[in-house]
Parts: sequence; C-alpha cells; structure tokens
Amino acid sequence: MLNLNNLTIKRGNNVVFSDFNTSFKTSNLTVVIGKNGSGKTTLLRTIAGFIPIENGHMSFKKVDMTINKNLWVEKLIYIDTKNGLSQDLTVLENLATWVQMKGWSTSRDNLIKALRSVEMEKYSNVYISQCSEGLKKRAALARLYFSFIFGVEFWLLDEPSNDLDKKSIILFKELVTNFLKINGTIILTTHDTNLFKSKYEVLDLDLLKEKIII
Amino acid sequence: MSSNGSSWLFVLVTHIKRDFLINLRSLTDLVAIISFMLLIIILFTFGIGPIKESLDIISSAIIWVGLILALIPSLEKTLNKDLENGWFDQLLTSPIPLEIILLSKSISYWLMVIIPLILSTPIFFILLDIDLKQTPWLLTSMTIGGLAISLVGLIGASLVLGAKRGNILLPILIIPLMIPILIFGVGINEAIKMDEEPINNLLLLIAFTLIYLVISPFISALLIRIAIAR
Repeated sequence: MLNLNNLTIKRGNNVVFSDFNTSFKTSNLTVVIGKNGSGKTTLLRTIAGFIPIENGHMSFKKVDMTINKNLWVEKLIYIDTKNGLSQDLTVLENLATWVQMKGWSTSRDNLIKALRSVEMEKYSNVYISQCSEGLKKRAALARLYFSFIFGVEFWLLDEPSNDLDKKSIILFKELVTNFLKINGTIILTTHDTNLFKSKYEVLDLDLLKEKIII
Repeated sequence: MSSNGSSWLFVLVTHIKRDFLINLRSLTDLVAIISFMLLIIILFTFGIGPIKESLDIISSAIIWVGLILALIPSLEKTLNKDLENGWFDQLLTSPIPLEIILLSKSISYWLMVIIPLILSTPIFFILLDIDLKQTPWLLTSMTIGGLAISLVGLIGASLVLGAKRGNILLPILIIPLMIPILIFGVGINEAIKMDEEPINNLLLLIAFTLIYLVISPFISALLIRIAIAR
C-alpha cells in the first residue's frame, strides 16, 4: 500500500495539491484522470520523487519513502511522455543503457525478449531519431519487461497509451495484466477512459480530488 | 542490485560508453569546435602581425584562450539534450547517485571532445611558431587543465539547464572559474620560456583540477535536481 498523507505540493508559487490524501493498494491498477492542468503529471512526478514535498508524508509499506529514497527508486519504473530515449542511439542501445543505469545486469537474450514483448524486435538497430512517436513509446515500454526479472513493484506511467496503435495497446494491456498478477502496483494517467475494461480504480482529480471505485 | 563500489564503477563505465557512442555519431560537432579554435588563432596571428617577438610573448596564452573560447558554446548542449529527452528523469530512478553519473559526463566530455581538440592543436603551434621545447609541456598542461574546464563546464551547464538564454548566461557564469586554470596553465609555459622550473605552476594547476573534481559533481547534481523539480 502506498499512502499519501496531507500532501501539499507546490510548483513555483502555485499550490497544486493541498492537504491531499489518498492511498494506492498493492496489486491494483489506478487510473488518474482529470482535465489538462489538473495535476496528473505533478502527482506522478511527486510519487516518483522528482518534486520535493512541501508538507505531508508519503509511505510505501509503512516505510517513509522520502527518507529511504534509494529503496524506493529501485522498486519503480517511471515512463512519461518524454520517454528518456537518446536520439543518437539505437532502440537496443537505449534499452541496454537503461537497464545498466538501473544497476541491473542482463543478457542480450533478455534485451531481445523485452523488445519482443512490445514487438520492437525488428527495429532493434534503428536509431531513435528515425523512429515514429509510436515506435519511441514502444521502445520505452519495453523496459517494463524487466519488472518480471528484477522484482520491480511499482509502475508510474504518464499517458502510456498515447501514440500507440490498436495492436500495441493490446500488447501493453497484456504487460499490465501480467504485472498485476505478480502483485505489481500501477498508477497511470490517461485521457482515454475506455482503455481498460476490467476492474480498476479511478482517481479523478477534478472531483474534489476524491477517490471513487467503479 | 546493491549500490556497492563495483556497481558504481560499472555505471560510470556504462555512461562513458553511452556518451562515447553519442559523440561518435555527432562528429560534426567536434569538427565545428576544432575549426572555431582554428579561426580564433588565425584571427590572433593576423591581428598581431608578422613581428615574431610579440608572437613569442603571447603565443601560449592565445592557445589557452582559444581552447576555452572554442569549448564554451558546446558546454550547454552536453546536459540540455538529456534534459529535453527525459533522460535525467530516468536517472533519478536509478539507485546510483546522480553525482557519479555527472562525473562520468565530465570525464566523457573530456575524453571525447577536449582531448581530440588538444590533439589537433600541434597544427596551431606551427601557426604561432611555438618552440618544440614547449610543445610537450603545453600538451600536458592543456590535458590536465582540460579536465578542469570540463568540470567547470558541468557546473555552468547545470546552472543554466532549462534556462531560455542559457547560451549567453553560461560564459558569464563560468569564466571566473576558468581564470585560475588559465593563469597556471599559461604560467607553465612562461616558466619554460624563462628557463625556470615549471613544476610549481603544474602542481597548482593539478590542485585546482582536483578541487573542481571534488566539488563540481555535487554542485551540479544539486542544480539538476532543482531544474527537474521545476
């Protein structure tokens, strides 16, 4: 369980959240919705630890993660609209550096398997600068495969379904289902309210920042 | 998965390798830097005129100033690209300290940009009629000072990260930090010209490089965290 207690978050002089309370259950999928500028990305970036908390607490499994930041980041994968891919490297090189950056070591076989999970195998030697937006997104989502090898517990995904075609969305949903099966927790933002059909929780930032269950 | 010493080294090498590949694929940037330095030196030689004595007095200073000026425009790009494509966000989800990764950025900039530039300077030595006796000292001092320039550049680049007029602000901010490097770097060759021992200047140059080596990854990591939190 990830708990956010009395959270106040500021960006510059703007207060985005004040006394914000919510919790995210383990092995659950939470979809954060809200209109543009409602603070979806800010919430995700705060949970990831990029934005310092003005006030309040954030705890994961009863451990305060603002203090134990290193334990927290090892457990999570964060992918946003910028993808974090270098233009001058190929799809495979980007994935390999990312895995090494996470402090993991893996074989080439696993890298190829990861690319296969999002059907990017045949693009492995294509430069990111030559990829379309959809391919870039898939190259970034290939990282999710390593959750199943290295025991990642948390996904923070900012609009992951943007730019994806129908086939890739199905592949992405497969990854989501498999991750929930191994007790992973997912928080993602989207504008596509019909993305998931199975049971999931909705956090609507427009509705007084309250939590409702569908 | 543990963040012990060997995995830090592993990440350091990984990042140097990553930057090496990126630099290799944008070699035109390096060509631009070298030709910019060549232009600076050509302008100086024509400005001074054909009097050999006046050229002798300031030749090593011209090389140093040329080196610093040629590098400044490229410093900002080293970090800006990675901020724009979101790589820094990914780095913050790494268990390895950002300081280590930034240190690797400085080292790879030194290896992949500054050292090739220094290796091309012997062509400029001919233009400036620099003594053969001075050449090894000049190359050594520039190699050591180059690391310091790279480290100071790291501070500057992270200071203006995400700023709109960063390319104008950056030189103003970092040139004061470059002055000690320039003084002791040129001092080495001045000493040789006067048949004195250059070792004191060399040691001071090394000392400054070491100071920057210790402080710049920390300052830079702090600044980048602020830039990302914005």
